[in-house]
Amino acid sequence: MASTPKSPLREWIEDVGKTVNAAVMWCGGMTVMFGQAVFRGPRRPFGLFDISYQVLQLGIRSIPLATMMSLFVGMILAWQFGEALAAFGAKNSLGTVTSLALVRELVPTLLAVTVGTKMATGMTAELGSMKVTEQIDAISALGADPIKKLVWPRLIAASIAMPLLVAFGNVMAMVGGMLISDTVFDVPASYFYATYIGELEPMHYIMSLTKALVFGALAGIIGCYQGFSTKFGTEAVGLSTTETVIAVSVMVLIADFALTTIFMPVG
Amino acid sequence: MPQFSDEDLAIDETVRADASIKGALGTTIGEFHGKTCAPGEPLISFENVGKAFGANVIYEGMNLDVRLGETLTIIGGSGQGKSVSLKLLIGLLRADEGRILYYGEDVGSMSAGQLRELRMRVSMVFQGGALFDSMTIVQNVGYALREHTDMGDDEIESRAVDSLTLVGLGPDSHPGILELVPSALSVGMCKRVALARSIALRPEVILYDEPTTGLDPSNCNRIAPMIRKLQRELGVTSIVVTHDMTTAWYVADRVAMLHNKKFPYVDDVEAFRAIDDPNVRDFIEGRTS
Repeated sequence: MASTPKSPLREWIEDVGKTVNAAVMWCGGMTVMFGQAVFRGPRRPFGLFDISYQVLQLGIRSIPLATMMSLFVGMILAWQFGEALAAFGAKNSLGTVTSLALVRELVPTLLAVTVGTKMATGMTAELGSMKVTEQIDAISALGADPIKKLVWPRLIAASIAMPLLVAFGNVMAMVGGMLISDTVFDVPASYFYATYIGELEPMHYIMSLTKALVFGALAGIIGCYQGFSTKFGTEAVGLSTTETVIAVSVMVLIADFALTTIFMPVG
Repeated sequence: MPQFSDEDLAIDETVRADASIKGALGTTIGEFHGKTCAPGEPLISFENVGKAFGANVIYEGMNLDVRLGETLTIIGGSGQGKSVSLKLLIGLLRADEGRILYYGEDVGSMSAGQLRELRMRVSMVFQGGALFDSMTIVQNVGYALREHTDMGDDEIESRAVDSLTLVGLGPDSHPGILELVPSALSVGMCKRVALARSIALRPEVILYDEPTTGLDPSNCNRIAPMIRKLQRELGVTSIVVTHDMTTAWYVADRVAMLHNKKFPYVDDVEAFRAIDDPNVRDFIEGRTS
């Protein structure tokens, strides 16, 4: 007896269910890996060489990109706000207006979406290649812990590098704003700087760096989890890397929203 | 306060050095946690093992013994799951049912520390070698020594050279090999380096996953005698997964054939070659049905 064909509505509901189920499994798997890394990582030997090597790879090598992104976002935002403020004759407030938007939101989020994604996709590609060539299995077979050897250094390095890059990015964004303020709107750079810094309070820096820490940890754990979850074959490495781009972008924005709701009543 | 003579200190240094080397050797063949196993007795036992990947059932009620000191060759069709048995034994995969016993201890119930200890005694040579491509050859071969011993760099390099020499890749015959990276080596050389890496800790058991796959005949003729040589010189027990019958006949003491998710055909090499069952004859003679 032939089975009854499913209605489009039922198929749609099933597809939604499968997607939700896959997302929950993905989040759960990542949480387990994060827990394993945090539990096993800080034990002797501490692997300081591995961590510092990863800080070099993830952080130092991201400075050019972070510089460019921050400089340009500072310049663009200053120009956009400058045009609007000039219409009200309030361009002298340019520093005041741009500071909060850049420090609390744009710099950490933009750097997370660009530099963080770069970090994560690099990790996914490297670990995914190790997975398909059985190098991760070989680490286990030789009696070492792949989570401690591979995941922990990357997670820590990303969590260290991201706040440092955001701190640097905040400075570069301000420099970009100063440049536009002085050259386009004839607001002296020193005045822009004074009003920019004057508007900021310690909590704003804390918010910026906390976001950076969370975004860095997210990039690290997503990159590692995607790498470890790579199926076999070279196509699988490409698929994992592509998924990492989407995952980091989506998770950063979700985390950004969550952190903003936490910080905003305080800030 | 106790006073130590120079002689005592010298003895102490020797004991410490011996402990370090023993730690490197890791293995007292035939003994583990007070349990002993005589040559020819079952060292490893697969008891009613079941394993599936989703809907794909690999093993169902699988039983197999591996005896101390022997070379057991596992044969069977491609993609049937021969290599899965090796990964189950070393704890890289967990059985869905049944037990895998090593000296009577269930591998599936072992803690992380116990598995680590198991993996110092049971090492695996992966099909593609699985060398760490970001490390040099000497770093690859010395990896386990660095992980599990307190040996210094010079000592680790010396041990790595010993292991490489055993597999015919010592720096005397291959100058500069220590500082090369795996991408600079041929497939055959990578497999031999992988073998050197697995014997660096002088394990009790070596698992070979398709050791001659992808190799030309001359390299196959190097690997197979090497497996035999290691059995003789190091006293290791070997499990060789292969579908290359030439290698299988050469290295094996016993042969086990995977068929219908079990090992229904297990025997000494000569007796196995004489089995009249069509399933066995079709496979070993390369017949298609």
